Amino acid sequence: MNQIEFNRRQIIALLGSATAMSGMGTMSMAQDQALKLWAPGIAKVGAQDWSDMESQAGISINSIAKSARADESIQKMVVGDGNALYDAMTDNGGGMEDALASQGAIVELDISKIPNWGNILPSYNEGGASADTIRYEDKVVAVPYISNADSLAFNYGEIGEELNSWEALFDSQFRGRAAMQNDFGPTLTNTAIYLKQSGKGSIDNPSDMTEDEVRQTCEFLIALKKKGHFRTFWDGVQNGADLLSSEEVLVSSCWEVIQIFAARKNGQDIRYGTMKEGHQSWNNIVMLTRGGMERGMDTAFYQLANVYLSPWFGAQTLAGLGFTPQMDGVQDYVDANPDMFDADTKAIMADRLARKQARRAVAGNSWQNVFPTNIRAYQDWWARVQAA
Amino acid sequence: MASLTNKRTDGGTLTVGTQTSQLLEMLAPWAFRAPLIFMVLFFAIPMAMTVVFSVFERTMFWMEPGFTLFAYENFFFSARLVNFLNSMKYSLISVAICFVFGFPIAVFVRKSIPQVAQHRVVLLFILPFMVSEIIRVFALRPVLQRNGLVNTTLMDLGLIDEPITALIYSHTGVVIGEVLSFLPFIVFSGFLAMEAVPKFIFEVCDDLGVGPWRRFLDVILPLAAPGIFAGSVFIFVNGLGVALLPNILGGAGAVNAGLIATQAITALDFPLAMAVSAIMMTTLMALLWIGHRLFDLTKILTPLS
Repeated sequence: MNQIEFNRRQIIALLGSATAMSGMGTMSMAQDQALKLWAPGIAKVGAQDWSDMESQAGISINSIAKSARADESIQKMVVGDGNALYDAMTDNGGGMEDALASQGAIVELDISKIPNWGNILPSYNEGGASADTIRYEDKVVAVPYISNADSLAFNYGEIGEELNSWEALFDSQFRGRAAMQNDFGPTLTNTAIYLKQSGKGSIDNPSDMTEDEVRQTCEFLIALKKKGHFRTFWDGVQNGADLLSSEEVLVSSCWEVIQIFAARKNGQDIRYGTMKEGHQSWNNIVMLTRGGMERGMDTAFYQLANVYLSPWFGAQTLAGLGFTPQMDGVQDYVDANPDMFDADTKAIMADRLARKQARRAVAGNSWQNVFPTNIRAYQDWWARVQAA
Repeated sequence: MASLTNKRTDGGTLTVGTQTSQLLEMLAPWAFRAPLIFMVLFFAIPMAMTVVFSVFERTMFWMEPGFTLFAYENFFFSARLVNFLNSMKYSLISVAICFVFGFPIAVFVRKSIPQVAQHRVVLLFILPFMVSEIIRVFALRPVLQRNGLVNTTLMDLGLIDEPITALIYSHTGVVIGEVLSFLPFIVFSGFLAMEAVPKFIFEVCDDLGVGPWRRFLDVILPLAAPGIFAGSVFIFVNGLGVALLPNILGGAGAVNAGLIATQAITALDFPLAMAVSAIMMTTLMALLWIGHRLFDLTKILTPLS
């Protein structure tokens, strides 16, 4: 063995040892490290901080507050430093998992490592209506934690009757007292659902319209806007709730949490209807980032995902902000834990769950599509609605 | 540095005090270069990049180098131009109202407040900026809305039978918000401009029997014009760019250039967002150029020099 060979062998051996040591280090560090979770506050239940979620999952969570904008999230994960910063992340109401998975920003999940996967709502299984929202190229890449079917909130105290059709939102009796969201996605989808089901428009898929379908939908809104039908287009939970509670508007297409906040604010009888034409459904999902996988944080992720599919989480998200649990067995769990909620809360939960199931059962429901195929047409026509 | 080396070679006579003063002398030019470097790095280059990015090709999630004017075509040949022109119109109205309310305050402070107290009085107008703008704007809602303070008071006084709904969720609401948000700027710039008007001018005008209107038109306005213009540009540009106001106080689809750019980013149309920003920058520069040609904006700083 000459000196050069010795040195080479020695170096290779040293490098091998160093690599093995660093690998062991990564594994042991991953066990001790907190899961860096990029998520909004609605992804937690229980205590004000994440302590209840941590104790349920048996992991430490380093939560990083996430804004509600899909563009920012995708940007950060695809062309920014998201994978270096976050082990796990949530989406923004549907449609993001395909974009992120196609760019390698998130990884495929091993559902055998999530014991509560058996609880997941049947519609998420292959072939179900919601199946695509957690899959990319038939591989599971996400775990749903909340969902809802958005509907029409209305001031029952002032109107004096239940509303069960989007027709009310566009009816002249509410001229100047109606509002929709200041976002072309949900506003055009809800309008298109109404136009399609009422036979007033020729629309195939309200979630992903052709240019001509977008034109029809926007021309309908422009005509109404010119008559002064819409008081405003709301933006954000506080804004939407304020419009309803101040009676500035009597009908508003909005998120359920807005209706809940508006009704709580002044104790008014503001209700959330079930629309016969259908609703725009959405869900929020949690995903394991490529960076999280590389850092060995997958085990911690699966432990958290297991909590998201537990009835413990489902019951509390239903009771608190009124989101739909993503698993079966919530009512059984509430019955088995009678001291967890008081009688009033249990009654509210049962009522919400029943209404959610009724909304989900409507045939005309569509899924929220954050990035429709003809997004330029959506943008351009939305600008015309604004200019009208 | 040459003398430093020589002295050390000649016998190490350099004292600590001399070293410090020489170091300071050496660093002195950088005290002026540092802001320049800062401005180039964080202002000029990002501005130039905005223009460059605006002609890039849009991709699904970002953009790629290329040259296309599609983003500009998308702006100028769509409803966005109408929205932009509308927001210019309402920003101009806000400027006019701010001038009507704000400039007399500046004149009053300059003319009637003792000189030692003038700056303190003007500083009072900074107080609203201690509160977050979103809170200030949101606080207008309980005042202006259907069941708000204004409508309730007017109805209680029997002056109206039905609430006035045009006060909020309308262009009027946006203008009210802009005036309340940006009024201090015309007061500041007006006060600065009024420093170019010697106080004895008021006395001379009084002695010559010049009425307030002629005094304002023929004496104060020409002298204070650069400052008034600068304040007006500031308000105008903010009216175009601050998305918060149309968002909270505007009606259905109320929009300004800031919101157009924000919505383009939401749809991941970065070249369009950059084009809107570039158009805003061009508008601002054109206004400043016109202002400088008309009023010689360097005169704003004359009283300080």
